[in-house]
Amino acid sequence: MKFQIPIGPQHPALKEPISLRMTVEGEIIRDADIRLGYNHRGVEKLAEERNWTQNIYLTERICGICSHSHTTCYVQGVEKLMELAPPRRGLYIRYLVGELERVHSHLLWLGVAGHEAGFDSFFMYVWRDREIVMDLLEMISGNRVHYAINAIGGVRRDIDDALTAKILEGIATLKKRSEYYLQLGANEPSFVARLAGVGKLPKERAIALCAVGPTTRASGVAIDVRKDDPYAVYDELDFKVATADTCDVLGRVVVRVLEVFESYKMIEQMLHSLPDGPVAVKAPRKAKPNEVVSRYEAPRGENIHYIKSNGSDKPERLKVRAPTLGNYPATVEMLKNGFIADIPLIFAAIDPCICCAERAVTLVNARNGEESITSFGDLRRRALAGHHNAPLKGNAVWPF
Amino acid sequence: MAVLRTLLYLVVYPGLIFLFFYSTFCEWFDRKVYARLQNRMGPTHTGKFGLLQPIADFVKLLAKEDVVPEAADKGLFTVLPIVGLAIVSTAALLLPVWNFDLSAPGMTSFSGDIIVVLYLLSLPTLILFLAAWSSTNLFSTIGGTRVLTMLFGYEVPLFLSVLSPAILANSWRLAQIAAFYQRRPLLILPNLLGFLIAVVAVQAKLERTPFDIPHAETEIVGGTFTEYSGKKLALFRLMMDIELVVSSGLLAAVFLGGFPGGALLGFVSFAIKTLFVIFLLALLRAMTSRIRIDQVITLAWRYLAPLAVLQLLIVILLKGFLS
Amino acid sequence: MKIAAFLPELVRHLFKKPATVDYPFKKLEVPEHFRGTPFLRPERCIVCRACERDCPAEAIEIATVNEAEKTFRMVIHNDRCIHCAQCVDSCPTDPKAMDMDILFEIADFDRHKLKKDWVYARAVIKPKPAPPKAPAPEAAPKP
Repeated sequence: MKFQIPIGPQHPALKEPISLRMTVEGEIIRDADIRLGYNHRGVEKLAEERNWTQNIYLTERICGICSHSHTTCYVQGVEKLMELAPPRRGLYIRYLVGELERVHSHLLWLGVAGHEAGFDSFFMYVWRDREIVMDLLEMISGNRVHYAINAIGGVRRDIDDALTAKILEGIATLKKRSEYYLQLGANEPSFVARLAGVGKLPKERAIALCAVGPTTRASGVAIDVRKDDPYAVYDELDFKVATADTCDVLGRVVVRVLEVFESYKMIEQMLHSLPDGPVAVKAPRKAKPNEVVSRYEAPRGENIHYIKSNGSDKPERLKVRAPTLGNYPATVEMLKNGFIADIPLIFAAIDPCICCAERAVTLVNARNGEESITSFGDLRRRALAGHHNAPLKGNAVWPF
Repeated sequence: MAVLRTLLYLVVYPGLIFLFFYSTFCEWFDRKVYARLQNRMGPTHTGKFGLLQPIADFVKLLAKEDVVPEAADKGLFTVLPIVGLAIVSTAALLLPVWNFDLSAPGMTSFSGDIIVVLYLLSLPTLILFLAAWSSTNLFSTIGGTRVLTMLFGYEVPLFLSVLSPAILANSWRLAQIAAFYQRRPLLILPNLLGFLIAVVAVQAKLERTPFDIPHAETEIVGGTFTEYSGKKLALFRLMMDIELVVSSGLLAAVFLGGFPGGALLGFVSFAIKTLFVIFLLALLRAMTSRIRIDQVITLAWRYLAPLAVLQLLIVILLKGFLS
Repeated sequence: MKIAAFLPELVRHLFKKPATVDYPFKKLEVPEHFRGTPFLRPERCIVCRACERDCPAEAIEIATVNEAEKTFRMVIHNDRCIHCAQCVDSCPTDPKAMDMDILFEIADFDRHKLKKDWVYARAVIKPKPAPPKAPAPEAAPKP
């Protein structure tokens, strides 16, 4: 007997609102229907009303966990538009923070995977050790989340020798703890029994559905923007792309832990070979009319920003393709023929960052429930007509 | 005089008032041990060392709005927490703490009371299923079916392992079993395997990790308790706490040699032994992750039941050897 | 055996101090250069309005109080501020007029109490004094 279970928009398994409607038969899922849009904030429209500098902070707030990846992707693109060449030291610091963010994001995910599986002790231990990374990031950038270390043309702050020593010390402690977690995760029988064989995604389906990041690397597909299209400092660093062959959630855990070890190696290499010099060049206020596509390997996969400029100090168009958006079709495939009990694990295994992926908007007529999807131009015309073509205000109107 | 004594048993010790405070203390102990195992603090600021935290939680729930779903069976929905609480409190009365006279069986200690306690401990599972069924919520229904499915797994190993020491002690009366092991403490050792099986089975009965799939928070919101709120939820949580005390009391009475020494010493030994069992339960809870419902049944029938039968065999052989 | 792989680590933690900091009774030290709340040093501000233009949250408001005396009023709306410190970076004076301090416990029940303002006269950048001319070499005393 088939019936529909709604997981979300509000559900303890989800950190953010998303609606997954599962058609179940007993305890087996037959189909899944993903609906987005609960977290849509109109970031792309807001970006058109702010100048290049203000947009750094706007793109940073697309997500909390992968905030640095969005700013870096944006700033990389804008530097290309303005034809700036940031100094080497600035680039090293920027990607150092990027690798530290990858460590923090993967440790967070490991804890959340433990919590979804009911393994709360593991969750607490991993998050306690993640505090080391958060403290390091706070020392480097002044804040634990939303580091805002990027400026157009380089970075805003420098790191000195004392800070370098602290980072190396923190990484050494973390390496020992991570080895313990790898050993624990692979050996604890109830944890492995939960994860093995769950959420299978065969290699051809992963490629056909355009999955990105550790989700597809666990199916044996070795794509990584840092190796395929090395940008800035990545062609000077020595690291491996972590893959696994098991195509299931256990493979994804293994891939992420291996990536954490690769990040430790990269951080040490970057700190030992940090070049001297300034950390930023001065950026102009306006950019010449042009368009650019910028790619970055975020902890969740490939992050793409498309930026178009029209000669003024504000962008003409900013389009964000977050990695989680690319993983949604693969999630539907993984959920089919799984158990209900595995839904949180399968969904958590793609490391969903739902607020990054809010781009589609379906208009539902409240009176008769009919749904329609309109093009951006049409939507824009409707909005302007709704406000009677009033000009954009320079100041925000605060309600009180 | 007898009436006064009975009233004292029912209301004060080991009756309702004692159970309320002792079960909240046990919940505090469980939470504190669980937290310290995970390098956290546990309840700290409500009362000294956080001792008043479970009572504060109970009082807070009493003050919250009590919502009954429209499609739910209102009579059943309302009465189930009260019935559940009554059942576990009755089971607590039958524990051999000060309320028995070893020579003469009475109302609270009679031959066969171990079976009555086991039966009364199985009833809360049915109560939880009926609570889930009467909620008419999708998540509750799934939780309710999981509760019953788990019952098919752990009941047999629990019964077999708890009845083994009774067979060795040649009695179906809890007070006599406890007295037997107090006289010959070395005979506790052959029952160790049964003790471990019983601890795992009790963990499943109490729906704690690794067996907390019926109310798995991250999957089905609240399972059985999804639609319960306010006073009814407070009574259900109190029921789960008292069930914890009764189960650990049962295990302590049967496997660890009971609670000798009259009122005061008996209470002290009751506290120590039940807290030891609760410590083991908290350790098990911190050590493992949640397993799926089909894995629970596999674990129960592939490992627990054969080991319980093995324990029974050991006891029967030992009994033949001793006599 | 495998199932008890985790047990020694767990039991060891029973004897360690908890990793939790008992906030608010004990506080953590924030590092130097922590981005807390912005504030102004009015004696250095030249009212170039770069901070007002670059603030992503429109949290800085500069208004003219008296055109003739060149007095201005700056309001920092700490309830809108996102603590990004872009105002500090955009400030062109040296030493800087905008700065960040390390306060972060600024929560209040009323958002209007979080606004800070300064009324000040615009600073005039004095030209740096010319370096003193080297004293003329003394005529060698005629023998």
